[in-house]
Amino acid sequence: MTALLETRGVWQRFGGLVANSDVSISVGRGEIVGLIGPNGAGKSTLFNLIAGVLPPTQGSIWFDGEDVTNLPAAERCQRGVGRTFQVVKSFETMTVIDNVIVGALVRNTVMREARRKAHQVLEFTGLAARADVLASDLVPAEKRRLEVARALATEPKLLLLDEVLTGLTPTEAQTGVALVRKVRDAGITVLMVEHVMEIVMPLVDRAIVLDLGKVLVEGKPSEVVRDPKVIKAYLGDRHAVGA
Amino acid sequence: MDKNFSARRRRDLIIAAVLAALAALAPLFVKNVYVQNILVLTLMYAALSQSWNILSGYCGQISLGHALYFGIGAYTTELLFTKFGVLPWFGMLAGGGIAAVIAMGLGYPFFRLRGHYFVIATIVIAEIGLLLFQNWEWAGAAMGITIPVRGDSWLKFQFMRSKLPYFYFALALCCIAWFVTWWLEDSKWGFWWRAVKDNPEAAESLGVVVFNSKMGAAAVSAFLVAIGGAFYAQFLAYIDPESVMGFQFSLLMALPAVLGGIGTLWGPVLGAAILIPMTELTRSYIGGSGRGVDLIVYGTLIVLISLALPQGLVSLLSRSKTKGATR
Repeated sequence: MTALLETRGVWQRFGGLVANSDVSISVGRGEIVGLIGPNGAGKSTLFNLIAGVLPPTQGSIWFDGEDVTNLPAAERCQRGVGRTFQVVKSFETMTVIDNVIVGALVRNTVMREARRKAHQVLEFTGLAARADVLASDLVPAEKRRLEVARALATEPKLLLLDEVLTGLTPTEAQTGVALVRKVRDAGITVLMVEHVMEIVMPLVDRAIVLDLGKVLVEGKPSEVVRDPKVIKAYLGDRHAVGA
Repeated sequence: MDKNFSARRRRDLIIAAVLAALAALAPLFVKNVYVQNILVLTLMYAALSQSWNILSGYCGQISLGHALYFGIGAYTTELLFTKFGVLPWFGMLAGGGIAAVIAMGLGYPFFRLRGHYFVIATIVIAEIGLLLFQNWEWAGAAMGITIPVRGDSWLKFQFMRSKLPYFYFALALCCIAWFVTWWLEDSKWGFWWRAVKDNPEAAESLGVVVFNSKMGAAAVSAFLVAIGGAFYAQFLAYIDPESVMGFQFSLLMALPAVLGGIGTLWGPVLGAAILIPMTELTRSYIGGSGRGVDLIVYGTLIVLISLALPQGLVSLLSRSKTKGATR
């Protein structure tokens, strides 16, 4: 079976800056893949390319066996790409349930069905008790959760999680990890960008390390963390030699 | 939860029906023509502001150029009537249709602009429209069009003796604009619009085509405002560019919604009910002094309300409710 998501030789340049150079990755159905790398490695750019915020300068992106390189973000969502944002982008003047209904409307045109779907998603993500609260009144961890809920309501095949576990307390992060597992168990493939290694590594099936816009290493989390190239990218030469 | 939601929707509908019924009875008690005139204008501006609110309140695309659509409604109706003998009822719909098409045509380039740039574009376009009509000989140029009035007629929608038919039409228009908003509020479009207003990028990631959503809002909004313009033209029985397309109309559509609560169902009605009588009364009681005292009073009140209640007057009504929810 073909991979659910594939990027083929993707480049992204912003003026003189090369954010992604020749990135080819693939994500198989049912996997949880972690996309990691130091700051400025090009993770967010790659995410935006996959989500369709902007087209790549060069290369192509394939989703579910089709070339989606030039499709806008809304169209990709309709095809089954759901995403969250690193800097949360809740609909602040709307209630939690209304936020999620916006996502549910992608697959449910009748309002009553969209609402029912949204309630299901809130149950699933543990936000049901906060349904009628304004999004602006949520605490940060709940806002992260709302991002996930909203994306799940679009019934994605692939869920892109952009640092949903960053900046949370250890307890909150563990709840987040449990949620990501639950999402995968529901049959949704997950590609996640994450900073916090000790949380993300036990969670993912496979890790892809980006550095300076290129794929540095790819493999099982346990192997990736021991790879000298990865240690060097994160900590500098001296530590790599020591290892 | 769902029960609360549908209960609130039903309650809104019932309140609206009761208010409309009470308003319909008002002429039984109000015989003074001057006061009746104020009532007609209040209802008309409530309807206009409600329509403006669809694009600018719900969808967040602040327009200060809606006078253009108002004027297009007025001119289409009267040009069709005076030049081709088309009855105002049809002219009204034609005006609405033309305004909607123009709104989308203008939206095509301008919806790429954001924030203040969009607002500036709407002002400029409405100003251009005004200048075009001032110089368009066939449409009467700056002289305008006088509508030939030959006695009371529902067919031609003109009445000389009584203001009551106008009152009931304005009430109907107000009800329609309110009902359309009520209906759209719990529709796919309503949700898309609010999402677009709050965060276009997130909306796009959830499958909302932002551009199309704005176009839809612009079309509905312009259509309803043009119907209002057609009504106003019939009401005055005379139009010229300044009196149906002047900048003050753009302001008088925006202010009630802003005052009452922008992007809310009841804001425009509430705002118009306070603002329009206030405008008329300050003008007639202290406007005669010739020193613009009425405008000073009027402006001061608006500033005070904006400072004290930035969310608009409806926030007073819903304050207790939100507090309970956030706890």
